[in-house]
Amino acid sequence: MSTLLLTGYVLIWPIIVAFVFYFLARGFLKDWSRARKDGRPII
Amino acid sequence: MSSEEMAAQQLSGPVTIFLIALFFGGTLFMSIMISKKKENADGYMNAGHNIGFGIAATSMTATWIWASSMYASATAGYTYGISGPIHYGLWGALMILFIYPFGRRIRAVAPRAHTLAEVMYARHGRSSQLMLAGSNVLGSVISLTSNFIAGGALVAMLSPFSFTQGIVVMAAGVLLYTLWSGFRASVLTDFAQAMAMLGAVVVIIPVVFYAAGGPGMFETGAQNLTPQQSNFFSSDAFLNQGAPYIAAVLAYAIGNQTIAQRLFAVREDLIKPTFITATIGYGATVIGIGMLGVMALYLGLEPMNGDVNNLIPQMATTFLGPILLCVFFIMIIGALASTADSDLAALSSIMMADVYGQNVAGRKKADPKTMLLIGRVTMIVATAAALYFASGQMSILDLLVFVGALWGALVFPVIASFYWGKVTNVAFTVSTLAAVAIFIPVRFEMLPMDTPVGLVVDVLSVVGVGVVLGLMSFGFFGLKPALWIGSIAALITAPFGIGFLHDYHVLSGSLVAYAVSTLVCYLMSFRNKESFDFALIKKRIGSFDSEEEPEKALDDNAPKH
Repeated sequence: MSTLLLTGYVLIWPIIVAFVFYFLARGFLKDWSRARKDGRPII
Repeated sequence: MSSEEMAAQQLSGPVTIFLIALFFGGTLFMSIMISKKKENADGYMNAGHNIGFGIAATSMTATWIWASSMYASATAGYTYGISGPIHYGLWGALMILFIYPFGRRIRAVAPRAHTLAEVMYARHGRSSQLMLAGSNVLGSVISLTSNFIAGGALVAMLSPFSFTQGIVVMAAGVLLYTLWSGFRASVLTDFAQAMAMLGAVVVIIPVVFYAAGGPGMFETGAQNLTPQQSNFFSSDAFLNQGAPYIAAVLAYAIGNQTIAQRLFAVREDLIKPTFITATIGYGATVIGIGMLGVMALYLGLEPMNGDVNNLIPQMATTFLGPILLCVFFIMIIGALASTADSDLAALSSIMMADVYGQNVAGRKKADPKTMLLIGRVTMIVATAAALYFASGQMSILDLLVFVGALWGALVFPVIASFYWGKVTNVAFTVSTLAAVAIFIPVRFEMLPMDTPVGLVVDVLSVVGVGVVLGLMSFGFFGLKPALWIGSIAALITAPFGIGFLHDYHVLSGSLVAYAVSTLVCYLMSFRNKESFDFALIKKRIGSFDSEEEPEKALDDNAPKH
């Protein structure tokens, strides 16, 4: 594998993790605000 | 480059104590915020079957990423080269993905269940239930142990404190915040732990990469790799690391009560997005961390004391500054705590629902207060047991592969029991025991493989390939495509695998377990003229302390198979 490909191969994972981080955080905040709106505990 | 040549640093005693107090203090605070004076036994086990996507997906991701998987992925990268982390993390991620179609079926037939073993009791009876529960307990205790080992190794390497002090503090911290509210505490704290882990991965991997020399390391360090290690399509990596994990894809998910518990807790319509998100989150995180092992290989790093479990902490102490080292420390604690609390919650549920609820008191007479007490005592006993085992410092990767293969014996009987009404309790039990009985001598090389026995093992392994791929396909595409895919896979593998597969005892042990359990279970079931009514499961399983009771108690309606 070329140096450029190997660099991309190493650095692609934190980028994907950043996207997942965003979706999970957004999902959690939605759950939280929905629970508050309904006046029930989040879990 | 030896470990002595690399400038290692440590966290000071006060900083270590501050970080541990911050982490466990924060999680304890979250746990207290949701605690109730009178906890509910069902809530303690499944949080009411109605968790939203954000919490469920975060919890699934955090639970599946354990500290051991981070260490093991880096070990795979260091041992097998650039494809190593893929052969660990990708298949680990697919364990979540491939179980979700089965999860939907399980949830549909048993919407109010607490454990998978409980469903087996409703489907078959006591022996099937206890076999599955026993394997779940084994898996959770091993998982708990290996997470404590990871915590002890981290503390010993990064701080002035000892391994023993490390495992004791980790165990006490996890137990403290999980004990009162059980699964509810486990799931909620998973959010903070997942955010800490994922956030750390986003920052740490690029920082270590550039601190270690950036793209230049791939040129200067290329001579440190063997041809196999530098090949992305390495057969060594596939046969020794990837293939046993592919074989274990379904086994891990079936054998792991932490997955089943989240399956029963998430809102039913959110099972698919939850499992898919967790698949991507787990895969990217664990493969990403595995890149630290690949970098260590290119740098020519020698693991401290020859122990590959030291690789990740070694890379962190060498290439991260003091603040990021603190972030790294929290990342590993987050990974181990999120899985350890899930294991405690899983173990307590098994003791509450499977042992006490169905085998000691009986569902009708089970007292929710006693159940809660049993759940909490279980957590304390399990923590003490895991601490005892952790002091032995076993190889994490070997443990993972061994347990995964052992669970392979259960996969077909469990899955078939949810779809095929002809499977009986006897068929389930005998097929699983037969598979374990053959798995052990194959796995531990107790058989003379240069005799016809080796040929039999190869043929069974080929059948096992067909079973694994057939079951994976069945979840998504149904029976006919699964039969085709499984048969074609076995036919393609036969010319290459026969005379060869028995040399890879980890892989062949696992495949033989699949093949034997499938063949025995099928042969013992297909002539059965009675077909089980799956609607009975819903009637037999209900809540322990709500007004909603099953239409007929199990004790009065015991399975007759």
